Order: sequence, then structure tokens, then C-alpha cells
Amino acid sequence: MEKILVVDDEIHIVQVVAIKLRNGGYDVITADNGQSAYNLAVAECPDAIITDLQMPGMSGLEMVEKLRENESTANVPVIMLTARGFAIEQEETQSLSIVACLSKPFSPREVLGTLKKALEPIPV
Amino acid sequence: MGIASIPGLVLYCLVKLGLNVGGIILASLSVLTLCWIGWEAINLVKNLKEFGSELDGDSETHFHVARGSFLERLAGKMNVYVKKQDQCKRQMQEQLETLNIQVQLSQRQARNTEAIIQSIHDAVIVTDSFNRVVVANQRASELFSFDLSNSQYKEVSELLGVEKVAAMIMTAISSKTHHRRNELEIEVAGETKYFNSIFSSITDGTGEIVGVVSVFHDISREKEVSQMKNEFVSHVSHELKTPLASITAYAEMLVDGEAQDDETKEQFLSIIQNQAQRLNRLIEDILSVSRIESGLVKVKKENASVALLIRDSFEMIKSFAADKNITVTQPSSVVYDQVRVDKDMISQVIINLLSNAVKYTQPGGDVRIEAEVLEDVISVKVIDSGVGIPAADIDRVFDKFYRVIANNKVAKGTGLGLNLVRQIVEKVHSGRVFVESVEGHGSTFGFELPLCNNKETVATNQ
Repeated sequence: MEKILVVDDEIHIVQVVAIKLRNGGYDVITADNGQSAYNLAVAECPDAIITDLQMPGMSGLEMVEKLRENESTANVPVIMLTARGFAIEQEETQSLSIVACLSKPFSPREVLGTLKKALEPIPV
Repeated sequence: MGIASIPGLVLYCLVKLGLNVGGIILASLSVLTLCWIGWEAINLVKNLKEFGSELDGDSETHFHVARGSFLERLAGKMNVYVKKQDQCKRQMQEQLETLNIQVQLSQRQARNTEAIIQSIHDAVIVTDSFNRVVVANQRASELFSFDLSNSQYKEVSELLGVEKVAAMIMTAISSKTHHRRNELEIEVAGETKYFNSIFSSITDGTGEIVGVVSVFHDISREKEVSQMKNEFVSHVSHELKTPLASITAYAEMLVDGEAQDDETKEQFLSIIQNQAQRLNRLIEDILSVSRIESGLVKVKKENASVALLIRDSFEMIKSFAADKNITVTQPSSVVYDQVRVDKDMISQVIINLLSNAVKYTQPGGDVRIEAEVLEDVISVKVIDSGVGIPAADIDRVFDKFYRVIANNKVAKGTGLGLNLVRQIVEKVHSGRVFVESVEGHGSTFGFELPLCNNKETVATNQ
């Protein structure tokens, strides 16, 4: 079972995404801030990360930047959830290999669909 | 001698006598003529002398000669000439007076124009077609650091310390456009200032550009307000989207049948309800600030017990504090005095202060609320053991949209809550807000409200 890390400082958002993914057959681990999410990601090596952009303390973007420096998490696919539509430049998402940016309010269905796509093996 | 010679003798005597009388008459005539000529000459000289002396004076000169004299024609011509000269003189005097008035008017106009230019709050520099400063005002000399008294006819390029401004003025004259606008960013005393600069051409009668009027209007404050508004819109949209995101996500989950039992369904519905209320509170905050500012708010003042308002607010904040593991304690002593307030508004003030204290205090910390009577006011304080406020920010925390950047990551907010507190306390209730804080050691936010005087209380009770 693929392991997904869900990060948001808004507890209800973490819960709704977690339930959707668990019902969709994924193993879900959660964090409510950037720093503990980073620690968890390094320790647990999840198959994908779904994170909020703006969080108290370390932001989602800062967390991804740090993860890319770490060998074990350098290539983990990241889906970003943001309440600020244009807060991330396209160049930035490309350079950090962020697979998708979904704006809030989001559809849990869409999150699941995007995750499935991101985890599909790349055809050789 | 014979008789024949007697008539001859008579004739001779008569002839001789005639000759003598004729001689006498002739001599007399000659003398009279000479006298007449002399008289006329004397008159002429006298008139000439008078004429000469009268020419020096202001009165009209008239050359008098006896009627019928041989000088009459000459005198007449001279009188015509003198009259013409008098007219010329008068005209010239009138012209001179007109010119004097015009010079005085021009000098006054120049002084007025100078005074107007000096009194303009914006920086103004007027240059000629050779890019030399014709007039500049005090504001311009302060802004571009030049000596105003020594600025006239100096080239702008050597006078102005800011190269790009000199270049803009020179471009304005060479480009032959009538108006140019630029937004300018200039360092003034180590501070970045923003200016709206307008360069307007001065044209002469033929349409030739002979100079430029450059006006620099400081828009730094407008820029700051605009930036604060942009940040506010950004904050507000984020704050609004967060509860909205929960509502739409949980609703979709219910539609998709993701809630597998009744308990989960109920939980989802409860979350939707709570988040909708949160959204409503936020919108109410935004509207309240806007209504109070525009004076459109309806205030319903009545006598109220601050102790009761504190107790009700405390109950509302309790669960939020418990979620964060923060202890909230009520006032150690109960204040029975009353205040005349809009109860909903003052409750909102206390809730805002309490929720802020909880938001900016780390889990495990504590928040307490105190109330005491000080002479003719009641003072309410909310004391927390939270992150505190940097000294540089403390004077501005009650400003609209202001957010302490250092604390931005600790909690989210719109920058409206404390502004609303101030508006309600100071604008609606004539009270006072205050704050004390030590960065890293917590903050004390509070307010004072005037106590009800007895007469008012009795009157209301009746």
C-alpha cells in the first residue's frame, strides 16, 4: 500500500483528505506544520506528499525545498494545496518538481485523481 | 527886385519851406520807424526770453506778438510747433506713467507667481529651453538637495543630485511632447519615496517650446495604503477560502458517500456548520470595520455589567483554548460596576482580545483576563504568555490591515481584529485601548471604558 503524507495546519483539511485517500486505498500519515512534516517525510519516506502552501512556521514551499536537498526525499512527488491562486511561480513549481498545484477550495475527488496520476509508473 | 520877382520869391520861400517841412517829416518818419522796429525787436526778444523760460515749465507755452507785426506769422508757426511739442510731451508722460504701472504690475505678478510656486506642497522646478532653472520651490530644494537661493540659471544636470530626474527634465524639452508622466522612486534621507512626476511644456506665441514645468507629487503614503490593501485582499481571500475549502470538501464527501457510518456523517455535517459560522464571523468583522469607519453602524447602548460580558466571552473561547492546551483564567475579583455600552460590540472586543491571546500563545501557555475600576473608568486586560510583539511594531498593531511580520508564521489573520477593537472602544464608546509587550515574553492588551454615572443608571432603571 502506497504511503501518502498529508500536511495542513487546518485540522479539518488534513482529516478530509486523509479519509478520501484511505477510502481510495492509500496508507496516510499526517502533520500540521512544515517542520514536523519534513521530519516525518525523512523518517517515513512517503510515496507522495500533499501539502498546504501557507502554514505557520515552515511554509509548504520551504519544506519542499528542504526535502529536495535530502537524498531519500529528493524525488518524492508533491501536490500543493493553496488558497492563493498565483502565489507560486511556474518556474518554481518546475524546479521543485511539484506535480500539481490545486487551489482552495479544492475537490477531494480531484486530489485523489491527481495523486493517482502522479503515482502512475512512467512508461518506458 | 521887381513885382515879377515877388511871386518868384513867394514860390521860392514856399519851396524852401516845403523842403524843410518835408525833411522834418521824413526825419520824423524815419525816427518813428526805427522806434517801431526797436519796439518790435524788444517785444520779440522779450517773447523769446519768456518762451525760453516757459519751455522749462509744465504749462502750455504761447508766443505773443503784436497783431499785424511782421513777426506774427513766425510767432503763429512757432505757437503751432510748441503746441505739437506740448502734445507729444503729454503723450510721452502718459506712456511713461502707463509703463510704470505695468512694471509695478509685472513685479507684483512675478512676486505672486513666486509665492504660489513656493506655497505648492509638491516639488516644482521650472526650466528654460537651455535646461537652466528659472524658478524652483523650497520643496524641490529639500527633495533634490540644492541651495535654492543659488539655483537660478543653473543647469539642472549640475544642480540636481538625482541624475535620472535631470535626465527626465531634459528629455521632456527635447522630446517636444506637451505632457509626460512618470512614476519616480527616489531615496530621500535613506528612505525610499515614490513620486508622480509631471513634465509640462511651456510654449511661446508661435508654439515653440521654451521651457518645462516639472512637478513632483509624493505618493509614498498612497503606495503604502495600496500595498496594505493588496495584502489585506490577499489575507482576506486566504482567510475566507480556508473555511470555504472545508465546507466544499466535506459536502463533496457526503455526496460521494465517503462517510461510511452515521457518526461520520454527523461529524462531517457538524464541521460544515462550524466552518460556515467561522466564515460568517469573518465577513461580519470585515463589514463591522467598514460600517464603523463610515459611521453607518447602528449602536444600541444600554447599561451592562462588564463582569457578565467577560464571563460570556470566556465561555465562547474556552473550547478554542482547550484545543491548543492553553489555560484561560477569569478575573480573580468580580467588578459590579456598570458601563453604558453596546453589549454585542464589547463582547466582540473581549472575544477578539481573548482569541488573539490564544492564537499567539504556544500550547501549554496561559491566558488570563483581569478587570478593575480606576477612578471613573473600568479597565479590562487580557494577559498572555505568548510570543510578544517586537518594539518596532507595537505602535502600529491597532492599525487597519497591519500584521506583525515576525509573527506572521505563528498564526494567520486579516489584520482587522485589533483595528475593530480600537474602533469599537474609541470611536463608538469614547474609551481607550492600550498594549504592553515584551518580545518572547507575552503581551497585555486592554481597554478602558467610562463608568456609568449614577444619574444615568437611575434614569435608565426607571
